[in-house]
Amino acid sequence: MTFQFDNLAASLQGAVAYIPVTLKLTLVTFVWSILIGFLIAVIRNYKVPVLSKFLGVFITVYMGLPLMVALVIYHLLFLTYYENIALFFHISKSVNEINPLIVGYIALISTSVCSYSETIRGALMSVDHTQYEAGYSIGLTKRQTFFRIILPQSVPTIVPGLINNLVGTIKGTNLVSAIGIIEVMGGALYPCSRTYSYLEGYVAAALVYWLISFVLETIARRVEVVSNRFRRQLV
Amino acid sequence: MGDYFSIERFLNLIPKIVPQLSVTFAIVIVSMVIGTLLALVVAALEIKRFPVLQQILKVYVSYMRGTPLLVQMMVVYYGLPLLIQTIFKIDINSWSPIVFVDIAFILNEGAFLGEIFRGAILSIPIEQTEAGYSIGMTGVQTFVRIILPQIIRIIIPAYGVDLIGVFHNTSLVFTIGGILDIMGKAKILGTATGHTLDGYVVVALIYVLISVALKIIFYLLDKKLVFERR
Repeated sequence: MTFQFDNLAASLQGAVAYIPVTLKLTLVTFVWSILIGFLIAVIRNYKVPVLSKFLGVFITVYMGLPLMVALVIYHLLFLTYYENIALFFHISKSVNEINPLIVGYIALISTSVCSYSETIRGALMSVDHTQYEAGYSIGLTKRQTFFRIILPQSVPTIVPGLINNLVGTIKGTNLVSAIGIIEVMGGALYPCSRTYSYLEGYVAAALVYWLISFVLETIARRVEVVSNRFRRQLV
Repeated sequence: MGDYFSIERFLNLIPKIVPQLSVTFAIVIVSMVIGTLLALVVAALEIKRFPVLQQILKVYVSYMRGTPLLVQMMVVYYGLPLLIQTIFKIDINSWSPIVFVDIAFILNEGAFLGEIFRGAILSIPIEQTEAGYSIGMTGVQTFVRIILPQIIRIIIPAYGVDLIGVFHNTSLVFTIGGILDIMGKAKILGTATGHTLDGYVVVALIYVLISVALKIIFYLLDKKLVFERR
C-alpha cells in the first residue's frame, strides 16, 4: 500500500465539491447559536426568576453531553418517531425522503448554544456594574441601558470568544457524517470506496478543513480588529 | 413505539457498559499525561523562538486547531503504519487501534494545551525569570522552581475545560472499529439486541455525570489554589 497522489487529487475534488454543505452547516449553526445564546445570556445576566436558574442547570448538564452522543440519540429518536410527527402535521413524505440535515442542525445548534451563551454571558459580566448604575442615573430605561451602554462595551470581549466557538463549530460539522449527511469528509471518502485506501481521502479532508478554518479565521480576525476600534486605551 | 425504550433494559445495560469506562479513562489519562509533557515542550520551544522550528510549530498548531479530531485520528490510523513502513521497514499494522487513537489524542493535546501553557507562561512577568537567573539558577531550575508553580494556578480552569473536552472526544473513537469504549460497547449491544436507544442513553448519562463531577472538582481546585482573588 502506498500513497497515491492521483487518488488524493480525486478525493480533493470530491471534498471541494462539498465545501458549500459544510459552510452552510457552519454558518446556519453559528447564526442560530448566537441568537439563542444571546437570549440565554441576557436572561441569565438579568437573573430572570425561575428561567435563569433553569437555564443555568440545563446548560451545565447539557454541556456534559458530547455532540456525537447527542447526534446518535437524536437520529434514533427521529427515525422512530418521525411517522407520528408526520401524521400529526399531515406531512406525506416518508422518513427516507426527509433530509437528515434537520437532525444535524438540531444537534449542532443545541450543543453549540451552550458554549456560545457562556461566551456571551462572560463578556456581559465583564462590564462593570457601575456602568448599569450610570445608565439608570441619567434616566435611561433598562433596555436603553443594555443596548446603548452595556452591549457596545462587551462586543470587543465577545468577538474573540465567538471566533474560538466558530472554529469549534466548523470541526463539529464533521461529525454529522455519522448520521449519513455527506459533507467535506464524506465527499473526500467517496472516491476511496473504490480503491479501499482511505488515507488519501482523510488527508484530503484534513487539507480542506484546514483551508476552511484558515479562511474563516482570517475573516474573523479582521472583524476583531474592527470591533476593537473604539476600545478606549487605558494607560 | 412504547417498546422502544424500556427502563428494565436500560437498567440491565448499565452493568454491561460501565466497565468499559476503563477503556475510555485509559485513553483520557494516557493522552492527558503525555499530552501535557508534549505541550510543555511545545510551549517552551514556541517561547524560545528557534528560527525554523518556530514556523514548523506554527503549522503544527494551526493544523491541530483547524481540522476535526475525527479526521486527525483517521490520518494517524491509516497514515502512521504507512509512514513507519516506508522509513523503518517495520510493520505496525497489527498494533492495537487504541495505540493510534492515543497518538492522535496526544498530538492534538500537545497543540491545545501548548497554547494554554504558552499564554500562562507569558503572563508571568519576565522579572521572575531574571530573579531566578540572578541567584544562579539554571534555565531548567528557574522554570521548574519559579515559573511552573505560578502557572499551575493560572491554568487550572483552562486545564479543566480541556480535560472535559478530551473526555468528550473519546466518544469519537468507536468510529475506528474494534475499540470497545462505552460508545463502542453501546453500539455493539444495540446491534446484537436490536434496541439501540437504551445503550446510548446509558452512555449519555455516564458522560453527563462524569463531566459535571469533573467540573465541580476543578471549580473547587481553582478556589483552593487561588489565594489572591478574594
